Amino acid sequence: MSLVQKGRWITLVALVCLAAVYVRALAFTPVERLQGPAQKIFYLHVPAALWTEAAMVLVGLAGIFYLFLKDPRLDRFAEASAEVGTVFATIVLTTGPIWGKPIWGTWWTWDARLTSTLFLFFLYVGYLLVRGAVRDPGLRARYAAVLGICGLCLVPFIHLSVFLFRTLHPQPIILKPSAPSLPNSMLATWLFSLVAFTLLYVGFVTQRYALSLARAAQQDRSSDAGHA
Amino acid sequence: MGELLAQAWTVARKDLVLEFRTRTAIVSAVVFTALVLTVFNFGRDPTAVPTIDLAPTILWVTFTFAAMLALNRAFQLELENQALEGLLVSPLSRTSLYWGKLIANLVFVAVVEGVGLPLFVLFFDVPVGRVLLPLIGVIALATLGFVAVGTLFSALVIRTRFAELLLVVILLPFLLPPLIGAVQVTARLLGGRPLSESVGYLKLLAAYDIVFVSLATFLFRFTVDE
Amino acid sequence: MPDVPQNAGYMMAAYIVTAVILIGYAVSLYRRTSKP
Repeated sequence: MSLVQKGRWITLVALVCLAAVYVRALAFTPVERLQGPAQKIFYLHVPAALWTEAAMVLVGLAGIFYLFLKDPRLDRFAEASAEVGTVFATIVLTTGPIWGKPIWGTWWTWDARLTSTLFLFFLYVGYLLVRGAVRDPGLRARYAAVLGICGLCLVPFIHLSVFLFRTLHPQPIILKPSAPSLPNSMLATWLFSLVAFTLLYVGFVTQRYALSLARAAQQDRSSDAGHA
Repeated sequence: MGELLAQAWTVARKDLVLEFRTRTAIVSAVVFTALVLTVFNFGRDPTAVPTIDLAPTILWVTFTFAAMLALNRAFQLELENQALEGLLVSPLSRTSLYWGKLIANLVFVAVVEGVGLPLFVLFFDVPVGRVLLPLIGVIALATLGFVAVGTLFSALVIRTRFAELLLVVILLPFLLPPLIGAVQVTARLLGGRPLSESVGYLKLLAAYDIVFVSLATFLFRFTVDE
Repeated sequence: MPDVPQNAGYMMAAYIVTAVILIGYAVSLYRRTSKP
């Protein structure tokens, strides 16, 4: 089975898992009393947010290893992880406001998760733009690695800034769009969702990596033809 | 170490000499700063919002623009003079090359801020007297953070398409933590709050500087070497 | 005891948007990896 096919299968399984999570969350998980049905957005929002950040960390780590090992596979993985991370960031940044509006009364809230994800989104966009702006694969990989590593190191500072801002500016809220203390059935739904998103990440990255590989192979062939 | 600094200073001096010989860049940056401050004045209603509430934001947005200008001009300088190639074949270490550029950029921004701060105080009647020293300290800390990362990224974008635009876009997320720290500390200083209230943010700024100056120093070689 | 808020519309919107994004991306990947 080729890499693309493996990727597609994993993605299919992931989507089926996600469908199961949808059914479970919407029909078989209790409604939270204070927030109402909108609270269920949490089951999608939080796993997506976790993977948005994890994907960035992996981009950074791949960058570190690339600078030392110079293995193009690491660069391809970083590229894939960045693109998938951006997709997940989009989910967080759309479900966040949709959750915020009924709960907080406003579309945007500078809460910790949304703010961090916004930063990450900016990082991802910058990273992908740099990749798009450099022709030479070796140079591109190196520049991307540098930026990825800087991004990785920025992540703790993002959390620190948000933390400091929030602890020194306590928000007078009663309802927080985050986890209430979770009873078991809610926790189970959340965990299933996390599994689904993990599988989605793996499936998507596998396919995107395969795409990168195919493009690189094609470039090699055409440049050889040029020299022929 | 002494060798390193000496080499860095050589690099810095070359840039600064070019800079101040023509004076165009520095004058433009200063005028721009004055313009931004002026615009801020006309953008607010002083009867509705007390100046002191907006002051930190005004100061820092202005300084951020100044830093961006400095970084862009540094990049232009490279392109025009193709100085980078010349420096790379010289026996200068990559570290001193980075530090040299960092110092040159810092001096440039410091000059702009040196003019900007008094203008800010003048235009907005801000009571900085008692807190001048801590304020300068915060400005120095935050500026070092911006410029450290910015200098690294300037080298990175130099061989890309739409370089100036790209520089701004990739730099933005890295400006946010020092900016947040700077604005918060400035607000507390101007509000007469004791320094102890700003400790968390000051630690943020210091940690950011230590991490990113080290990181940029280390990573710089990968942006310039083949 | 206050009533549970009636905001199921938001829940549905978020679930739909997420599905659209994920399925959309899956399709995009499928098509991009299908070209010879």
